[in-house]
Amino acid sequence: MKYRVTHTTVYNYSQSVDLCQNEARLQPRDFWRQQCESSHFEIYPMPCDFRERIDYFGNHVAYFAIQQAHTQLVVTAISDVTIFPEQHIFELFNQLSWEQARSLLQESPMPAQSQNQGQSQSQSQSQSQNLDTLDARQYLIDSPMVTTTYDLGCYAQPSFQPNRPLVEVVRDLMQRIHHDFTYDPTFTTIATPLSDVLSHRRGVCQDFAHLAIACLRAYGIAARYVSGYVETRPVSGKPRIVGADASHAWFSVYVPGIGWLDFDPTNNTVPLDQHITLAWGRDYADVTPLKGIAFGGGQHTLSVSVDVLRLE
Amino acid sequence: MSEANNPANDIGKQYYATQLGIYDEMYATENKALPYWERFMAALETMGSEQLEIRRREAQRLLRENGVTYNVYGDSQKLTRPWRLDPVPLLISSEEWAIIEAGLKQRAELLNLILKDVYGKQHLLKKGLLPGELIYGHDGFLHPCVGAEQNLQRQLIIYSANLARGPNGRMWVLDDRTQAPSGSGYALENRTVMTRVLSDIFRETQVHRLSGFFKALRKGLADIAPHNKEDPRIVVLTPGPLNETYFEHAYLASYLGYTLVQGGDLTVRDSRVWLKSLGGLQAVDVILRRVDDTFCDPLELRSSSRLGITGLLEAVRRGNVAIANPLGSSILENPGLLAFLPRLSQHFLGQDLKLSSVATWWCGQKRERNFVLQNIENLVIKPINRGQDNHALFGGLLSSKEKDHLRSQILAKPHLFIGQEQVSFSTLPAFIDHHIEPRNAVLRNFVVASDNDYVVMPGGLTRVARQKDNFIVSNQAGGISKDTWVLASEPEKPVSLWTKLTQNQRVEAIIEPLTSRAADHLFWTGRHIERIDASAQLMRAVILKLRETLEFKDPVDNECLTILLRTLTQVTGTYPGFVNGNPQLLKLPEPELLSLAKDNRRSGSLSVNIQAFVHSAFSIRDFWSHDTWRSVDNIQRRWQQRVINYDCSIDQLQSSLDELITYIVAFTGFTSESMTREAAWLMLDSGRRLERALTLIALLRSTLALRLDDALQSQVLEAVLISTDSLTIYQRRYRSYIQLPMVLELLVLDESHPRSLAYHLRQLSSHIGALPKPNGKSQLSPEECLIIKAYTDVRLINVLELTQASDNAGIYGGLETVLSTTTDLLWQLADVVTKTYFSHSQTSQLMMTKTSGDEP
Repeated sequence: MKYRVTHTTVYNYSQSVDLCQNEARLQPRDFWRQQCESSHFEIYPMPCDFRERIDYFGNHVAYFAIQQAHTQLVVTAISDVTIFPEQHIFELFNQLSWEQARSLLQESPMPAQSQNQGQSQSQSQSQSQNLDTLDARQYLIDSPMVTTTYDLGCYAQPSFQPNRPLVEVVRDLMQRIHHDFTYDPTFTTIATPLSDVLSHRRGVCQDFAHLAIACLRAYGIAARYVSGYVETRPVSGKPRIVGADASHAWFSVYVPGIGWLDFDPTNNTVPLDQHITLAWGRDYADVTPLKGIAFGGGQHTLSVSVDVLRLE
Repeated sequence: MSEANNPANDIGKQYYATQLGIYDEMYATENKALPYWERFMAALETMGSEQLEIRRREAQRLLRENGVTYNVYGDSQKLTRPWRLDPVPLLISSEEWAIIEAGLKQRAELLNLILKDVYGKQHLLKKGLLPGELIYGHDGFLHPCVGAEQNLQRQLIIYSANLARGPNGRMWVLDDRTQAPSGSGYALENRTVMTRVLSDIFRETQVHRLSGFFKALRKGLADIAPHNKEDPRIVVLTPGPLNETYFEHAYLASYLGYTLVQGGDLTVRDSRVWLKSLGGLQAVDVILRRVDDTFCDPLELRSSSRLGITGLLEAVRRGNVAIANPLGSSILENPGLLAFLPRLSQHFLGQDLKLSSVATWWCGQKRERNFVLQNIENLVIKPINRGQDNHALFGGLLSSKEKDHLRSQILAKPHLFIGQEQVSFSTLPAFIDHHIEPRNAVLRNFVVASDNDYVVMPGGLTRVARQKDNFIVSNQAGGISKDTWVLASEPEKPVSLWTKLTQNQRVEAIIEPLTSRAADHLFWTGRHIERIDASAQLMRAVILKLRETLEFKDPVDNECLTILLRTLTQVTGTYPGFVNGNPQLLKLPEPELLSLAKDNRRSGSLSVNIQAFVHSAFSIRDFWSHDTWRSVDNIQRRWQQRVINYDCSIDQLQSSLDELITYIVAFTGFTSESMTREAAWLMLDSGRRLERALTLIALLRSTLALRLDDALQSQVLEAVLISTDSLTIYQRRYRSYIQLPMVLELLVLDESHPRSLAYHLRQLSSHIGALPKPNGKSQLSPEECLIIKAYTDVRLINVLELTQASDNAGIYGGLETVLSTTTDLLWQLADVVTKTYFSHSQTSQLMMTKTSGDEP
């Protein structure tokens, strides 16, 4: 499946901005399910300083600064992406129980190193899988926007039946979140804590992803946050509306031996060929698509449009 | 002083009772004082406790006057505690120092290698030498800093460790400080004071000097500059005067000759860091950081921070600025690392640690966790992250319920906790309440990377608990500091901080850039001091008149007093007061007068203006000479003691006002005599002149603009001359005739009289003309236009015309008009100066959206 994603963000200011510095994670990353053929930015006014790099989690980041006075900033990212869905499906029948998965993650994949003791021993285990598991372990613990609590653990508990395969646990959890929570863009802001989302049973995709991640981490399962887009199908009989889509978020779970599997609790689906991944990290704070600091500007208004166009 | 039976001589070593089983610095483990302590204590004994107490107080006085103890808000509940110095130092022999020094160097090297690895290739994590949770779970690990290392041999530039001696006589490391270690400035200040108050003993003891360390620090910081290595611009980044160690930031900045800045003073453009100065942007090469790393860049780190510089991390990544210590270095303060250091020392250096850490068990691993859970009552439990709610808990002091709660917390997130052995520190002699008593002590040492090596300060900051048997030794807990004397085997030559030039070399003088924030504070320091002066002078004249009314019972005196009281309300802006307030106030003005002096919550009162003045002056502490600061301290402290904290009468108030006015002149005198006539001076004096002009006009409008009968007018004129300190000069000039036109001539037009309006406006005009201008000099700036207009209008005044009674109104209309126009122009001027020069106040906003996602 091939898509062209056009993501435009417009800031309008009531007063002039003299300087703004920004960080954009708007270019899709490559991984086994996806390849980004091309990606570029169109930014007005032209930034004086623009630099791309790869962040700690392997995402593309662009830093740019606008140093002349302006009252409007337009950031457009245009990317062509190919999605390969077929490799994904059979893994959903993986039978590794969540307890096994947890102990595989908890145990140090390296020969146990006790504290206050001498030389390290030589390692001989399969290095690459170990490195994957090591990498996954950073997604086991609390992150800036996801702190596990007793209450979150209680909510997760019914999904964690003894000896249940991890993949089933996660599907069940996803289903429950989809069923129990109301999608309500008016309820939450960036700063709404998970405890509020949990007690009011309301939120948006970002909250649902954070919630699922917290539930999984509470049981010792590594889970990460994925930011991206989902293709929305036009209602039958009506023409496709350009720019009606929005940026989206879901979560991913580490299944030892297989790798990371994605789940979308907002839509209660397993992402296959309609989900385009931008970036992943511990939570939203690591992968904010566009953030900036503007000096001056007075009041600002913001509009975002995302267009996911299927090319073939 | 050395009579054998002098009861004051009770401070010799024979009076020093140590506790059994505890190592004491003086006695070591034997029953005999160490020889160098013996010599020192003999000298103290000769001196006697009374004399020692005198020296201790002298030290406190010096520290206070240097601002080390300064409590800027006069509000004792919050902020800085007074810095206390015990005149008995910690003595360390040169043999023992060699061991400590080598241990600290080794530790600095090791921590540096860990830092490099964690933010570089991460071999330690990949090889399992460090568990991931220990690093990932610590707030000091900053993801964006990975791969943003400065291209330097040593990443860890400044290192500090807290040491204490255990019962077996060995030194232990309690913790490592790598974020933005504080204390070296306090150590230097302690030494400076000690060499004054204990100069006799200091001279006879061969003590290592501290200046070599600061020379190394300077060299070390210059060496890491990515550009301009020959003459880099180095700044000290401070969170500001609210920070508890702000004194030290200002002190080090002026001692080392760096500019003291806050985040708002810097900006990133073209991925370089610039200092926003009155003269334009100036490139910054090195930042000595005293702001915690997460606060340093709101774009990539904590977005709510107002203390940082947006884009700073990107500037580091591009290699355009060096920061000491680098962002992310607080990961090394993770106490869980202590458990892994012996192994890492073997891994990196192939050596055992020369200085052991306090035994530590990180709960992230099963065996250690079980050990901690089982031995909780014998351990100190600490969270690996320091924070408001994260305190160390002494297991032995917890109830069984609290212990259970702690155990469940540990089990829920074990990687966030460590258990540590409870250490009992050594004691050392401390001078407490006129006696020498043993106190537990902690020694803080300082290390800096310089010239391909780590250099250790031969000395440090020793702190003792005030209470006996107290192991919590910190400034917050009211601890006392001590100087640390590392004894030299031979006399040491003092090291000069000055760099030697080769022959005939000449160095270009740097005109210190003035940040707009500093300019703002200078301007307001000037305005506040004049506001205090004007109120104090007027209040004094009012009290004088009040006395006369009581003495002579003349109705004209009463009328004049009413006018002066109303003027006081108008000049201080403390409405309704005597203007529209309760008419009883005019009959019984004392309580209102005392309130205008004392009330430190009432806007416009002297106390509030003094607080505001001290706050502005403290915010630019690095600008003031020692003597200037002493005068600031006097203004605040004396007022606090004699007026605010004291039930003073009107008579006592008058003498306090006299004293206040003298201290104000001391401040303005010291600044006039010691500041170069550059931007800083121009800002300070512009603030002063502007405020003087405004308060003078306010005074004239509520007194001289009134049409009064002759007898009353004479009285009012006299009072105005008194409150402008101009009576003597008037009498000398115009002898015994007191007339409105002549008074106006002197107070408004006479440019040779430094109390006249025209004098202030002329000064202001020349200062404003001399300020650096962004748009070049060819065209007059808006602020120049305003001051020239105000000055010219005043010069064109014809006093006789203005004092013609043109109608039947109660005021001289012409005079009132010209004075109110001038006021308007001056207010506009203040606005324009603020907008043009104090641009640091520009607010920034975070732009970020929530991912709301799609629903099918």
